[in-house]
Amino acid sequence: MIGAGIFVLPGEAAGVAGPAAALSFLAGGIIALFTALSASELGTAMPKAGGSYYYVNHALGPAFGSIAGWSNWMGLAFASAFYAIGFGDYIVSWLPWADMMQLSALGFTLEPGQVGGLAAAALFIGVNYVGAKETGRLQNIIVLTLLGILAVFLSAGMFQADMNKMTPFAPNGMDAILPATALIFVSFLGFAKITTVAEEIKNPGRNLPLAVIGSVVIVTVIYVITMVILTSVAAQPLDELGKVAVVEVGRIALGSFGVVMLTFGGLLATASSANASILASSRINFAMGRDRLVSNWLNEIHDRFATPHRSIALTGVLILAFIAYGDIKVLAKAGAVLHLLVYGLLNIALIVMREAPDVNYDPDFRIPLYPWVPIFGAISSFALIAYMDPVEMGLGLGFVVLGLVWYALYARRKVDRQGVLNEQILKLSEPSAPEVLREEAPEPDPGFRVMVALAAPKSEKQLISIASALAKAKGGTVVAVHIVQVPDQTALQAGAASLERLDRSSQLLMEKAKKDAETFGVDIETHNILSHRRFAEIFDAAREQRADKVVVGWGAGSHGSRGRFENALDDLTGALPCDFIVFKDRGFEPSKILLPTAGGPDTDVGAEIVHAMEAEFDAEVTLLHVVRSEDERADGEAFLSKWASKNAFDAADKRVAVGEDAYGEIRRQAEGQTLVVLGATERGLLERLSEGSGVAELAESLEISVILAEQARPRSLKERLFGT
Amino acid sequence: MTEQTAPDTLLQRVIVPLASESDAQKTCQSLLPRIEDSHGEVIFLHVIEKGGGAPDKASVEQMETRAEVLFDKAEAAASARGIPAERRLVYGTDVVETILEAAQNESASSVAFTPRAGNRLVRWLSGDTALRLVTESSIPVIVFPESAEEPDS
Repeated sequence: MIGAGIFVLPGEAAGVAGPAAALSFLAGGIIALFTALSASELGTAMPKAGGSYYYVNHALGPAFGSIAGWSNWMGLAFASAFYAIGFGDYIVSWLPWADMMQLSALGFTLEPGQVGGLAAAALFIGVNYVGAKETGRLQNIIVLTLLGILAVFLSAGMFQADMNKMTPFAPNGMDAILPATALIFVSFLGFAKITTVAEEIKNPGRNLPLAVIGSVVIVTVIYVITMVILTSVAAQPLDELGKVAVVEVGRIALGSFGVVMLTFGGLLATASSANASILASSRINFAMGRDRLVSNWLNEIHDRFATPHRSIALTGVLILAFIAYGDIKVLAKAGAVLHLLVYGLLNIALIVMREAPDVNYDPDFRIPLYPWVPIFGAISSFALIAYMDPVEMGLGLGFVVLGLVWYALYARRKVDRQGVLNEQILKLSEPSAPEVLREEAPEPDPGFRVMVALAAPKSEKQLISIASALAKAKGGTVVAVHIVQVPDQTALQAGAASLERLDRSSQLLMEKAKKDAETFGVDIETHNILSHRRFAEIFDAAREQRADKVVVGWGAGSHGSRGRFENALDDLTGALPCDFIVFKDRGFEPSKILLPTAGGPDTDVGAEIVHAMEAEFDAEVTLLHVVRSEDERADGEAFLSKWASKNAFDAADKRVAVGEDAYGEIRRQAEGQTLVVLGATERGLLERLSEGSGVAELAESLEISVILAEQARPRSLKERLFGT
Repeated sequence: MTEQTAPDTLLQRVIVPLASESDAQKTCQSLLPRIEDSHGEVIFLHVIEKGGGAPDKASVEQMETRAEVLFDKAEAAASARGIPAERRLVYGTDVVETILEAAQNESASSVAFTPRAGNRLVRWLSGDTALRLVTESSIPVIVFPESAEEPDS
């Protein structure tokens, strides 16, 4: 994204630093680059909506979070107001009757640029309020058009550049360079907006640093070259060319074509920057609401437009007010000051995350030269604030105070977590608290334990029935576990304190589970486990609970959206802590069970389940063995009767089916049955569910419920490496 | 399967797109009694609109949370009538295309919805999903009028 700053601020910057303003842009780029590196690392570690604000709140706690949130939000509003006035100025430069747009009332005077800005801002806010669709293609077209316009302008300008115009290089002294940087720093805010939408980026581990760091480097180069060309082509100093100096230089370089092209470029850049800032501010609001720093009323999604309409409207009102206030330089610097505050805190947040022991912090991208990059990033960000005027410094300070007052009066009572920093300090003064909190501790000698991972009320009864039948067969205990997923930014301890409020449905679920298990006359224990990772937690819980068997549901609705459970299975990398029984629920009716077997160890787990059901539900069992051709039928029959007697299925109906496609044959034989129990004949059955294997397809395509069973297995190093 | 009433094959496996909470409520109210009568099953579907490169309208996490609420309510309404229900959360840049694609993947017998009221301006601003669904679908689309009955409290 090409910042609108380069279209709006060259004249103002040259007014401060002369031709040396090119160096001001370079300095701005360097300061931004340090923070961009830090933001990339934090972004890959925590790709969450809210970006910079989120990292600060997460690492430094809600008091700093409140400051960062307010600063980030207001910074974006100031920047939007700045872009909108820039847009207005471009409109005014282009409309012949623009002078008539000056409005005066009640002692206030609105300049034509402000009037244009107000109209434009109202339009952008309206567009975001109704959520008009902006596609990725349009976004690409805008960026490419802007790059094209600048490329044409810069190459045409190159031929007319007169380097003599660069002298005197620093008419106001080199001391004026950094104050000009303070003025133009608003041009470098684009990269931070990328992190506010980090959760939406595909493959953030790679793409986020690329986008963030790349955008800073590219725009810095473009800005510096543009400043040099502008200064060396213009007939007079840039600050004497009026509000749209870029267009005036375009007239010299390319005539009226240059005027049209650069006016269009200016409108496009200011509009897209304003638009992006409005969207980004609603993400900050959402992230603040998620952390209870603002009321969630503000973030409610519009029923029809599916937009966070209140957040956009409120930000919009602020933007309009800032435009009415109107001094474009103050707005640019106010936007920059507030962002610089956040950037400084962000760099500190990175140091805290890296230094805090036992914090789950695993960024895909790690910055080089740690800790120098964040240290310099923090110092340079805060230091640049010192080059602002008292007005903007006062504004910055005002929002720091507002953030703290807001935290003290409103947010402190509501937030339910502390930052990583506070937690580390707490840990120093207290003995370590357990990460996973239980209602009851597991007994010393647990005996035979069947763990059920419950997620939704829908399949609770079915899962408990299976587990109870298994436990009853061996005189064991059912352990019902409800894994409550806690948002990452909520500390587990804080979550436990408010467990009741957090998940009342969990209690209801457990009550039901208890009742259902009692109908089978088996003992049941219930545990709530708070975790940041719902799916992977099942495996940890199985180990913790010393479960012999784990029963879980599989399918949409049982563990959230489709696919997550499979992903969790992928993470297993082959090891299973205990026997796993995965139930695909299409109604639980264990009256006629089909048990295909090829004699692997995992069919034995299947056999165990089937025996339990036979005992509990008087199920009728059909054994199935599939052979490839008629020639093998006799062998198959011999195998099956041997297997049946070994596994105590002498009474069962035994079928040998012939078919090339074993899964297809099983599907045919499932006709008229009510439940299919698939044991894995090879290892890695559950893992292969995620790859669309034959078993997965079979389980998906059957119309009756399916139980997949796989035996516990440790994994050897060789298997780990070669995946067999 | 020995039901008294002849099952309506169109309502065997119905994809029901839900746009918002109020939409879910209205749709369930007018749709579920009919599906119950014909012993069908429903697949509740919610599409999270993606920008495909541009920033989305709202945070994905926020939209996912909203979707879970929608699904919970709709599933509760379905299970109150004993209708088997599933939920599908899908993502796409084009809502209508995404709905129809999901319907195909689920081998649904039809897509059913209750159009949302709204004047021309609102329709234009939010994109006339209803019209596009009806015209672009390759499987039957059933439009249910908003139920006149008061909801059971």
